[in-house]
Amino acid sequence: MVDFLIGLFLASLIAALFTTRLYGLLFWYSMNSLMLGLLALGIGINIDDKAMLLTGVVTILIKAIGIPYVLKNLSHKFNFARQIVSGIKMQYSIMLVPIILVFTFYLSVPIVDMIHTNANYVAISISSLFLSLLLIMEHSDVVPKIIGFLALENSLFLLGTTATNGMPMLVELGIFFDLLMAIVVINLLFHKEEMKI
Amino acid sequence: MMLTLLLTPALFMFLVSFLRNENAKYLLALSSFVILFPIVDLFTFVKPYAILGTYLVADKLDTYVLLVSSIVGIGVTLALFTMDKHVTVSPKAYRKFYRFFAIFWIGLIFSILSNHMGIYWIGLELATLSTVYMIKTNHTPAAHKEAWNYMIVGAIAVSLILFGIILMYASAKPILGEEAMQFDLLLKHAKEIPSPFLFEIGFAIATIGMFVKMGFFPMNLWLANIERSSFYPVAALFSGILESAVVIGFFRFSQIAMEVNYNNLFIFVFIYTILTIFIVSFLIYRAKDFMRLFSLSGIEHMALIVLFWVSGSPFAALLHFGAHAFLKPALFLSTGVLETNGKFKMAGALRGYTGKRGKIFLFLVSLFLLAIISLPPSPMFFSELYGFGAMINTAKGSDHMLGMIGAVLFLLILLSIIFYRFVSIYQSMRYEGEARSRKVYAGELFALILFAVSLVALMLPNTLHYLKTVI
Repeated sequence: MVDFLIGLFLASLIAALFTTRLYGLLFWYSMNSLMLGLLALGIGINIDDKAMLLTGVVTILIKAIGIPYVLKNLSHKFNFARQIVSGIKMQYSIMLVPIILVFTFYLSVPIVDMIHTNANYVAISISSLFLSLLLIMEHSDVVPKIIGFLALENSLFLLGTTATNGMPMLVELGIFFDLLMAIVVINLLFHKEEMKI
Repeated sequence: MMLTLLLTPALFMFLVSFLRNENAKYLLALSSFVILFPIVDLFTFVKPYAILGTYLVADKLDTYVLLVSSIVGIGVTLALFTMDKHVTVSPKAYRKFYRFFAIFWIGLIFSILSNHMGIYWIGLELATLSTVYMIKTNHTPAAHKEAWNYMIVGAIAVSLILFGIILMYASAKPILGEEAMQFDLLLKHAKEIPSPFLFEIGFAIATIGMFVKMGFFPMNLWLANIERSSFYPVAALFSGILESAVVIGFFRFSQIAMEVNYNNLFIFVFIYTILTIFIVSFLIYRAKDFMRLFSLSGIEHMALIVLFWVSGSPFAALLHFGAHAFLKPALFLSTGVLETNGKFKMAGALRGYTGKRGKIFLFLVSLFLLAIISLPPSPMFFSELYGFGAMINTAKGSDHMLGMIGAVLFLLILLSIIFYRFVSIYQSMRYEGEARSRKVYAGELFALILFAVSLVALMLPNTLHYLKTVI
């Protein structure tokens, strides 16, 4: 089950990379967060960790539902262009994704040998991290960059969940708080005219 | 109790920032001043002093960093009083600036006092996010663009730090459990970490994140561009306070990494910082405005602080850190006068100051400019003497003595390029160009006097003794 969810986590991130519609991007981010939340719930049940269960529920509520909803509202408010154009041509992106996946699996071999629990998941977390960076880089519009940043945060969360069987509860709640703060700042930064950086 | 005392002024500032009364700005400034009192009180406690269990612990290092940061905060507050005389700023933007300044302080207090990698990161992220809006208080397209750039690059840098923290935590969790997040326990059990390689990878990634935040190679210009486009007090806050929070994280992480494998840490940091200074020295040589000049010089000094620290001279690093934290905001605040209404010309920038205020300003800016290039009796002169001495000692004990001495000489050549450029700029400011009449206001002048007094206080025997006993 955990393998299946982690596969869907990666798949939703790859789908986000190829989407050319704003709402599509928000949907795939929401799916990505949902898989992360379900994964935390799954691991939490397996190791009987209540903090992990709580983290899973909060992830689903904030990241899978709350943040996409807020961003969709903002896109209505400021009339964002629904079409998002990638700076990297589709055919190159198609080649880049498997290259990143293979490269990160080799890159993480020495680390994987040292982490005995969920070792392959660590490699997938690092791949997701690189894919999120690619999402940030390939777009010049602000919203895809924000989604890239949020996906980056999801990848780190996945790494924390898989490499360490969950970070301390205090830290995870703090990260959620910072994420909410980021959304507040993003909201304040939106300006009707200049949406390209 | 102490945590409440530390947080109350910032919370008060946050609440007052919502008042629309004209007199609110005095209350905002007052709250910034009051922050100093609990910090001074912290010095009276026996260290380490637990502020919040094992999560927030005051030791000699973080109390010093906090004191320096609070003095910089007061200086910036003084300059804010007269900011509207030099740049166009609306009362609403002014209040919002303070609102985010308050959040910034809360983040900093947690970050600097933390004995916990996770809390350190949370505080740093909070401080980073709050500065994003401070950049935006300048309502120009350039500031808007740079606020977004800061948001994205800053977020990537902070994410790298979190990535490193997770790996370091994973490396020590088998022996320490959830307590593997605590700096003191990690330091105590550094030699027992079952996967030192994993720890070192984590440390390297976190360090790259911190270096990116400080504008090190390969991100040398992003910070300079941001400081150029935002109001000058924001640049002062970045150089005097935010970078302090970043560098204290580096101090904490590197103390543990030194125990794990000193040679790997030293070589990694040594090469990285020399590469940074190599690029920055040429960028400084080509700098055409004060903001970029001071910003790039800030990167150079942060690189030196890091280098002195890993070379085994925490005294030199901390002295350099304190001097830089006072000098750089002072110079950034001076740009408010030097570049009045956004007009900047280096030639003749130090001419045309009349009256008592003008003469004091001229004296102080000249003093700061010459002190930043380490002319004696600047504290930087002494810190560099100690720092380079430590580097030579490390080189003597290394297997690659000649290579390292060569690298130190190369570093000195790069520093002399920067020295030459600053002297040349100073002469141009003083003796070339047209003398234009400029007005100096009491707010910025008091701020500069505060920084000058703080610099002198840094050289007092008691302060030097304190710095020698920090580690």
